[in-house]
Amino acid sequence: MAEVSLRHIKKVYPNSERTSKKGLFGRKKADDGARKASSLRITDEGVLAVPDFNLDIADREFVVFVGPSGCGKSTTLRMIAGLEEITDGELYIDGKLMNDVAPKDRDIAMVFQSYALYPHMTVRDNLAFPLKLRKMDKQTIDAKVNEAAETLGITEFLDRKPKALSGGQRQRVAIGRAIVREPKVLLMDEPLSNLDAKLRNQMRAEIIKLRKRIDSTFIYVTHDQTEAMTLGDRIVIMKDGEVQQVGTPQEVFEHPSNLFVAGFIGVPQMNFFDAELVRDGNAYSVHVGDAIVVPSAEKQARLAAQDVASQSITLGIRPEHISLASGDAATLVGTVDVSEMMGSSVHVHLDSLGQDVIVIVPTTEIEGPYQDHFFAGAKVEYAFGGNVIHMFSKDEQGTNLEF
Amino acid sequence: MDKQQTLAAERRNKAILSVVLAAICILWVLPVVAVVINSFKLNTFVKTDTFALPTSESWAGMANFVKGMTFGNYPFKSSVLYSVVITVLSTGLILVFCSMAAWYIARVDSLFCKALYFLCVFSMVVPFQMVMFTLSKTADVLKLNTPWTIPIVYLGFGAGLAIFMFVGFVKSIPLEIEEAAAIDGCGPVRTFFSVVLPMLKPTLISVGILEIMWVWNDYLLPVLVLDINKYRTIPIHIQYLKGSYGTVDLGATMALILLSIIPVIIFYLACQKHIIKGVAAGAVKG
Repeated sequence: MAEVSLRHIKKVYPNSERTSKKGLFGRKKADDGARKASSLRITDEGVLAVPDFNLDIADREFVVFVGPSGCGKSTTLRMIAGLEEITDGELYIDGKLMNDVAPKDRDIAMVFQSYALYPHMTVRDNLAFPLKLRKMDKQTIDAKVNEAAETLGITEFLDRKPKALSGGQRQRVAIGRAIVREPKVLLMDEPLSNLDAKLRNQMRAEIIKLRKRIDSTFIYVTHDQTEAMTLGDRIVIMKDGEVQQVGTPQEVFEHPSNLFVAGFIGVPQMNFFDAELVRDGNAYSVHVGDAIVVPSAEKQARLAAQDVASQSITLGIRPEHISLASGDAATLVGTVDVSEMMGSSVHVHLDSLGQDVIVIVPTTEIEGPYQDHFFAGAKVEYAFGGNVIHMFSKDEQGTNLEF
Repeated sequence: MDKQQTLAAERRNKAILSVVLAAICILWVLPVVAVVINSFKLNTFVKTDTFALPTSESWAGMANFVKGMTFGNYPFKSSVLYSVVITVLSTGLILVFCSMAAWYIARVDSLFCKALYFLCVFSMVVPFQMVMFTLSKTADVLKLNTPWTIPIVYLGFGAGLAIFMFVGFVKSIPLEIEEAAAIDGCGPVRTFFSVVLPMLKPTLISVGILEIMWVWNDYLLPVLVLDINKYRTIPIHIQYLKGSYGTVDLGATMALILLSIIPVIIFYLACQKHIIKGVAAGAVKG
């Protein structure tokens, strides 16, 4: 029900209060990982957690902030929530400037990683609390609480205290408390991180379902790229407080803007090789080891449009795009280090060109026991096509040369 | 074999420990037992057979109690009233103000708060005897010398321990709960009374018991500050059993002491079940 705009949002933790986090009185108290990361820049003003964050989030969009711990994603979310002061820049919710508006007046709700339920209240009271504070009449509150409880399947726990619930149930209550008052923006700060793998998958599916039923704009923070890929309409990948790329899951996966995004998105991680990009007129080729890969016509056109010259590059190929068929032009040889049976596929770790290369081999393509083919020390030939390669510059940013 | 030996040794150690602790317990309870049995004995037998149970010869029945409550020209019920008023008001003030102050100190990280905290902790190690004369003078000037105003003095003396205990507990409450409250629509005042205070319940009760026992039993502060011709608390009243008679009526003294112990014990037993650790369990991932 609301657009959210972040314009040049900046967050600096002043030096004197570096070890602290904001309390309700506008001062700061000890915070989570945000400032532990050593990669954050320390300026004269203090520690720069988020230097310049720009993003427009559409109404009812589901945006996921993802990045390694300490990348500023939670800080940004907390600034949207009003739990963290915005040092500089402008935050608009529904077109209204929200920088100095108290959290309770922003019409947002938040789900915390640690659930943050009120321990002295029953589940029903926990759900009803935000409604009571809005002075709704009892009948409306009851109706809304029951509806939210039904949606999340917690009706039978309504009269229990949070401590009598399991982790998954508590998280449902926390989500229930957030959705019960139908906020404009629903913020979620790593809501599934405390759950075990099975429950996490289940809750992830529930969030997808939930999202269809309520009209809020979702902003979701996670360090888990699977969650980001499956949940988000758009993903915002962050590192050291800076946005690396914003795009749909598919865009981010297929066209990572730089080396960091390429390495962060996708499991197992993308393989990287040192290679040479050679330009001959408008034709490009990539020399890696003894092999020569010709980028697809589309990629060549993009490189030409950018007027990319011959240079040393980092070549990236996703493990699932490498095949063991040796017919291709670009054939490389590796020695098997380890092979991991994953069920539907085998992850083969190769020692090739002096580094670890992971290849995913579907079990349907393997005859007999996989160990017969991928025992340690076995020589394996592998290849990849010119349409699946990613070319990154050798500089510090490692930008994708196609864009 | 080894394991059996260790188990046997463990059992032996436990037995020794039980005996030692039992002895300590008995020593600890002995004064209370003495008060109970002597309050039913005639005055003369209190001194001679202190630890003997009342016999038909020494049995005084309720005479000690009646005497304790009726002697002199000051009504005992006024003493009870003033004791109750002072204790309830003082404890109430301490609990409300110190929990609020402690929340602020624990949540706001500033030099002022640190200084305040250490000042409170420091006040615990200053002996009352050091400040009592200047205090009684100050209390007179500021009109803090009535049962209705002396709680302010108690608030000052009780704040150190109370704030120390509250701050420790508030720090163990996850900040996320208060942040959730802020997002749900609470201002600081509402957050405190609807969210923080209920979670502080175990500490409120612990601090409450300590303060009640202290204020209820306190003799020196009220005797110095209050106008004792007008206002007497129970401990002051008991003291008059000695002063006004020249000799001490130990039987009546014991009877009054027993009476003054009973409310505290009842309160303690009533609140005992609330003193549970981990009331915050279930709020966040534990």
